[in-house]
Amino acid sequence: MNASLARFCVAAAAVAGALMSASGATAQTIKIGMTTALTGPYNEYGEGARHGVELAIEKWNAKGGINGKKIELAMLLDDQLVPDRAVQNMRKLLDNKELVGIIGPAGTGPSLAVIEMATVDGRPYMNPIAQTPKIVYPDGGKPRPNVFSFALQNDVEMKMQAQYVAKKYSKVGILVESTAAGQSAAEIITNQLKAEGRPAPVAVETYNQKAQDMTPQLARLQRAGADVIVYTGLGTDLAVVRRTMARLDWTVPLIANNASLSPPYVEGAGELVVGTQGSMIAAFGHDPLSPAAKEFADAYKGKYSADRWWGADPSRPQLSMSLTVANAYDAANVLFEGIRVANSTDPKAIIKAIEGIKDFRSVNASYSFTPDRHNAITEKDLSIFEYVKSGDQIKLQLSKN
Amino acid sequence: MTFTLQLIFAGVCVGATYALIAIGLTLTFWSTRTMNFGQGSLLMVAAVAATTLMSAKLSAYAAVPIALLLSTVLMILVERIAIRPLARLGGSMGWVVATLGFGLLLQGIVARFFGSQAIMFPSLVFGPLDFVTIAGIRVSSQYLTVLACCIGLMCVMEIFIRRTRWGRAVRAVAHDAEAAAVAGVPVKRVVVASFAASGALAGLAGILVSQITGTVEPQFGFNLVILGFVAAVFGGMGSIAGALIGGIALGVAEKLAGGFVSTAFGDAMAFAILMAVLAIRPQGLFGRREILKV
Repeated sequence: MNASLARFCVAAAAVAGALMSASGATAQTIKIGMTTALTGPYNEYGEGARHGVELAIEKWNAKGGINGKKIELAMLLDDQLVPDRAVQNMRKLLDNKELVGIIGPAGTGPSLAVIEMATVDGRPYMNPIAQTPKIVYPDGGKPRPNVFSFALQNDVEMKMQAQYVAKKYSKVGILVESTAAGQSAAEIITNQLKAEGRPAPVAVETYNQKAQDMTPQLARLQRAGADVIVYTGLGTDLAVVRRTMARLDWTVPLIANNASLSPPYVEGAGELVVGTQGSMIAAFGHDPLSPAAKEFADAYKGKYSADRWWGADPSRPQLSMSLTVANAYDAANVLFEGIRVANSTDPKAIIKAIEGIKDFRSVNASYSFTPDRHNAITEKDLSIFEYVKSGDQIKLQLSKN
Repeated sequence: MTFTLQLIFAGVCVGATYALIAIGLTLTFWSTRTMNFGQGSLLMVAAVAATTLMSAKLSAYAAVPIALLLSTVLMILVERIAIRPLARLGGSMGWVVATLGFGLLLQGIVARFFGSQAIMFPSLVFGPLDFVTIAGIRVSSQYLTVLACCIGLMCVMEIFIRRTRWGRAVRAVAHDAEAAAVAGVPVKRVVVASFAASGALAGLAGILVSQITGTVEPQFGFNLVILGFVAAVFGGMGSIAGALIGGIALGVAEKLAGGFVSTAFGDAMAFAILMAVLAIRPQGLFGRREILKV
C-alpha cells in the first residue's frame, strides 16, 4: 500500500466515522416540522401555535423525552397564512425524511392547499386551527388516514350555535366572510336550523375580509327583520361590524364564532364588544382550572409571561388561548403520546397508536380517537360565552343565557 | 326609504375619503405626470404614527400634525428617490415599480416595529355611538366629521389652485413645465410642493378613514388607493371637482350595489365603473381630452 492510498483510507475512515456518529445523534432525537403564520396580519394564530408546540416539547423533554429520545422542532417555517407559501413550506417539510410528524398551517386556506400532499406522504399530520371539516373528512365520511384535528371544527361550532339560536330567536340573520370557511359556516347553520325544525335564515350576507364599512350588509340584514346576527369571520372584521351596528343604532344580539372573539376584536371595537356572545372551548372558563389546564397555564406564564395571548387578567389565561395556543399544545401532546405508545417512528405505527388513544386528558379536552374519528373537539367541550365589563376590564365569561 | 338613505349617506361619506385620496394622486399627476402607487402606505404610516403618539399620551392636536408632517416628508422622499431619477429616463415602468416598492418597504418597516396585527385607532372628536338625526335617519357624527373635513379641504384646495400665485404656478407647470420654467416659474419647487401636499392629504385621509374602521394595520390603505385611483379616473385626472364627484359617485354606487344587488358585488362595482369610463369617456367626467400635436 503506497502512502497516498494509506492517507485516502484514513480520511475515508474518518468521514465514515463522522457520518456514523451524526446518524447516531439523529437517532437520539425525534424531529418534527411545522409551517404556520409567524409573520403577516394573521400571525396571532401562527405565533400562538408555535408557543404551544414549543411548550409541549419542553414538557416532554423535561421528563426525559419520548422513550429516552429528546424531541426537536427541527423545521419551523413561516407561511404568513398564504396558501402558496404553505405549499412551498410543506414540500420542504415532506422532503425532510427525518421528520416524524407535521404540525399544519394556522388557517383553512393554506391547510386545504397542503392537505392532499400531506395525505399522500402518510406521516402523522396534526391540524391545530383550520376549522373546515374537509381537512379531516374530505367527502364527509372516512377521515384521511394520517390527519388528526385539534381545531374547533366549523360543523361542531356552527351546529352548537344553531342549536343555541334556534331555541331563542326566530329570524336569524347570517353574516359571514366571503371565504370557503365563511360559506361553509353559513351552509351548516342553515342546514342545522332546518334540522331543528326552525325557519330558514331571513338573510345571508357576505363581506370581503378587511372591509372598511359594513353598512350595506347590516342594512340588508336589518331590512330583512333579523332579530339576531350570527357572524363568522375574523376579529378585526367583527370590530367593523360592531362599530357599524352602533352607527346604525341597531342593537340586536350578535353571536360570533370563536376565532373572532379574540384580542383584535376588543382592540378594534373597545367597549362596544360588551354583550357580544359566542361559542368557545370552555377549558379556560372553568373555575378552578382542570389540572392539565393549570399545568399548561403555569408553564406558559413562566416562559412567555402574561402576554397578548394570555390576556389582561394576570391571574388566569383568557378563553381565546384555547384556540391560539392550547390547541397546538394539545396537537403536539397527542402526537408525542402516539409516538410513545407506538415506541416507533414508523408513521403507520404512530397513527394506529393515536387511533387507540382513549380519554387522554390535555388542556382543551379529554381526547379519544378511533379509525373513524380523527377530530378531537366536540359540542360537549363548548359553552356560550359573553363579553362583560367588570371594573375597568372587559372579559369573556359564561353567558347567563 | 330609510334603507336607501342609509346606503347613500354611507356612500357619500366613504366616497369623500376616496375623493381625498384621488386629489392627492391628482396633485402629483398635474406637476409630473406621475403618481405614487405606494400612496396607501402613507395613509397607513400617518395613522400608525398618530396612534402611537396618542398612546404615548400626546394630545391629538400635537399627534395629528406630527403624523401629517411625517407623511409629507415621506412623500418628498418618494419624489426624490423613486420618481425623479426614473422619470428622467422616460417611460413609466420605472417609477411605477419604484413607488410601489417604496410602499411595500414602508409596510415592512411598520410590520417589523409595530407588529402585523391591527392597532386600535382612538376616536378623535366623536365616538361610533355619537349621532345626529337628519331626515329621520340616524347619521353618525364620525361619518359627518369625515365628510365635512373632506369637503372643507377640497374647497381650500380649489381656492388655492385658482386664486393664489402658487396655485397658478401649479397650473402652469401642469399645462407645460418647460414653458413655465421659461416664464420664471420655479418648476422644481412647485413639483416638490405638489408632492408635499399630496403626502399631507394622504396622511389626512389615513387618519380620517381610521376613524371609520377603528383600527389600522400595515396593509391598511392599499385597497383604498385603488378606489382613490378609480375616483380620480372617473372624475377626470387633474380636476378637484371631478375627484370629489368621482369619489362620492363611486362610494354611493358601491353601497347601493351592495344594498340592492348583492353585498358581494359592491367591490366589483368600482372596477366595473373604471372599465366603463375608460371605454366610453377616457378623460373622465370633468377631464379635458388632451390633444397631442405632432
